[in-house]
Amino acid sequence: MHDDHPSAANGSADADGAPQTPGAADADRCPHPGEQDEPDRAAEPGADAGADGRAADEHPPERRPTDQRGVSRRAFGKAAVAIGGATALSACLDRFGHGAVPSGVEDPGTLPDGQHVWDEFLGLDDHDNRLSPRHHVVLLLDLTSEGVPSTEDRETVETALRSLERAYEWSSDGLLFTIGYAPRYFERFDADPDGVALPEPEPMAPFEDIEPDRPDAVLHLASDRPDVVMEAEEALFGEVDAANGRGMDATFEGVFARPDLDDTTVRRTGFVGEGLPADHTDVDGVPEDAPVDEESPLFMNFKSGFEKTQATESFVTIESGGFAGGTTQHLSKIRLNLQQWYEQDNRDQRVGKMFCPVHAEEDRVEGPGHNLGTDSGMDDACTEDVGESAREHGLVGHSQKMAADAREDDSPLMIRRDFDSTDDGHAGLHFLSVQQSIADFVETREAMNGTDLTDSSGVGQRLNNGILQYFSVQRRGNYLLPPRALRALPPADP
Amino acid sequence: MERRRQFLTGAAGLAGLSVAGCTNIFESDESDTGRDRTPTVAATVAENRGRQVYIPTHRDEMAMKGMAGAGDYRVGLMYTYPHQFWIVTGSETERVPFRDDDTVHLMTVVFDEATSTVLPIGAGVSVEIERDGDLVVEKSPWPMISQSMGFHYGDNFALPGDGTYDVTVSLSSMNVRRFGEFGGTFEERAETTFEMEYSDSERNDLEIRQFENRQGDPGAVSMMDMGMMPLSRVPAPSDLPGRVVGEGASGDATFVVSAVEEPPFVEGEDSYLLVSPRTPYNRVPLPMMALSATLESEAGTTFEGQLSAGIEPTAGYHYGAAVDGISSGDELTITVDSPPQTSRHEGYETAFLDMDAVGLTLE
Repeated sequence: MHDDHPSAANGSADADGAPQTPGAADADRCPHPGEQDEPDRAAEPGADAGADGRAADEHPPERRPTDQRGVSRRAFGKAAVAIGGATALSACLDRFGHGAVPSGVEDPGTLPDGQHVWDEFLGLDDHDNRLSPRHHVVLLLDLTSEGVPSTEDRETVETALRSLERAYEWSSDGLLFTIGYAPRYFERFDADPDGVALPEPEPMAPFEDIEPDRPDAVLHLASDRPDVVMEAEEALFGEVDAANGRGMDATFEGVFARPDLDDTTVRRTGFVGEGLPADHTDVDGVPEDAPVDEESPLFMNFKSGFEKTQATESFVTIESGGFAGGTTQHLSKIRLNLQQWYEQDNRDQRVGKMFCPVHAEEDRVEGPGHNLGTDSGMDDACTEDVGESAREHGLVGHSQKMAADAREDDSPLMIRRDFDSTDDGHAGLHFLSVQQSIADFVETREAMNGTDLTDSSGVGQRLNNGILQYFSVQRRGNYLLPPRALRALPPADP
Repeated sequence: MERRRQFLTGAAGLAGLSVAGCTNIFESDESDTGRDRTPTVAATVAENRGRQVYIPTHRDEMAMKGMAGAGDYRVGLMYTYPHQFWIVTGSETERVPFRDDDTVHLMTVVFDEATSTVLPIGAGVSVEIERDGDLVVEKSPWPMISQSMGFHYGDNFALPGDGTYDVTVSLSSMNVRRFGEFGGTFEERAETTFEMEYSDSERNDLEIRQFENRQGDPGAVSMMDMGMMPLSRVPAPSDLPGRVVGEGASGDATFVVSAVEEPPFVEGEDSYLLVSPRTPYNRVPLPMMALSATLESEAGTTFEGQLSAGIEPTAGYHYGAAVDGISSGDELTITVDSPPQTSRHEGYETAFLDMDAVGLTLE
């Protein structure tokens, strides 16, 4: 196609002559799907097939992001994490190199008791909001054996997870991960998990039609480095011998069946952070020319996860019972339908629907909203009487509902660790949250539905009701994340 | 209710039905009827339109693509040329042009078959279009009103060529209060899938009729007869339940007020203040408003509060509240806290926005 552009493909600077910039882009050395690494920022799509044939020649053709002529570096990067697998990983490393990843601890016993204790190991933005790791893989796992797990399997799982903790620093620079268990897992024990209400997932809105996820377990891998989440996944399933250069002492092989790489129901991938959504608009569900801001961490073009809109980790930690020190996790697979959002709504409508109509009236939000600092700027005008505000404005903002109705003791009820996705070739969101109980998630989601507001104002079930018009939830799952000491195939009553 | 009992060909109603009555849509001597297939007319607006209901630049024929049951609901699916429309938040409108690659304005009408009532439910509707098992697009279409169709859900869609599409329409449980025969109904989410044949040539056969001489003038084109689908209109004042005690206007909407004593459809209430706002000319209901009211009698204020949306077969979609009694001479003030949040087609987009309070001395 464009084989006559080798300089673009191989170049160390983009077409404008700008040097490669270190920092965040450097961390994304082996880019996530849709992400373009800095040197090729200006390379034309499809510009690079023949220019770097090395990786393509050295590996079998199947499951390779580079196995077709005419695939640009950008397309290569776009494919890597989403495709997954050892070959994609090695091609990724061959192509972009594997910069130094900090090693983990000698003694995993020194890590926090809660698997979900990530906050102090995350990066910070200019306002000291915590930044979620940029790249994510979530695997829904089934045990290969029936009945109560054996002690041997339990030890195998624990050894494998400790290998990861020794291989990678427990941080966004290294690897953060959790393993959780679904209600179906506990059926093996004919008992509910001790002290934890863990219901099967249900539809959460009058218009929702979901498939419940019913695996045994869920594994969440997260890092600023796409090659790290890919390598950790491969190492856990024995596809590569080492993680970050350190041999694995055990793997999940024989205990958990490996999810099919092509099955986006059980293998979900995604990203969050500045620049990533803007580079991913070439999928269904978001207009290709959507003006997604380079500074926006998410497809909807606004910041979320303000420090003060997140609960603290101690707030979401289970306080008593056999799983004290753990937490619960909700995971939903959401399809984003943003054509109306970008091509029909105007900026004021988007701001009003995401935040609060007063934010639109007073131009409180600049760009994606970094100017708001550490909270979403909800004040009395937004939250004192949401019902009256909805009657007056014909509109209620997403943040407005959250701030008014999804709080306890002046704290949000959960921590959002969600991320965008291009799984299935469609813009999506994997909504992942941790909270002390699933009931806290339910309460938050009910606030988001704003059902009482639809009864008493012109706000519809979806129309002008926050952002409910712009997505559909496909699947939901509820999980228990045990404390680290109990994370490996725990009994129901530890 | 007005309903034309016309047999719709095909079990699933898949035949492209030329809409009956289309050649007689407008009582005038206009001579500019034509088959102009240039969709550019769809992007124009009448220059001289005022802030009231006005005659649009044109109107398009529609292709009826099917009707099907979905739980308690009945759903009709149809399309026409892509349309511009206006979405509403608060009292502000935003014009939505159609895109170059849009092929149709796809519409769904949700109704109750037994009572021939179009249901302006609160917008929990979703449309998912697949082709050969692959997703083409999913959207929650806008609840909207047009002069020809009344209340429906619609948006423009870009269908990638001629072919067969599976169009799944999902409906949520209803969020408005249901009275009378509607009590206990529409409580479940439901969906139905239409197998929809689409071709550009079929679409291009749809007639476009322009109103070059009267566009922008106060008035409205008449509603289209949609065969077996009921028209989306509320009852004439004389057909409302109770005793009509007043009629007012605001933002070019007509507000009909009825006093329903011992309403058969609201249990245990003595008097029900029924407020039925509708478009002029066509009596299209105006849902998704926030209304409140003050009722004063000689003895003082007898009611002050919100009017809640409700639906009942003989009253249609309306707003109301139980009150202590309604007497001749009472002063009623209806305040529009927010105007109808439905999107608007041409001819309705400047009306029903600036809505002053309606003051009435009840008869």
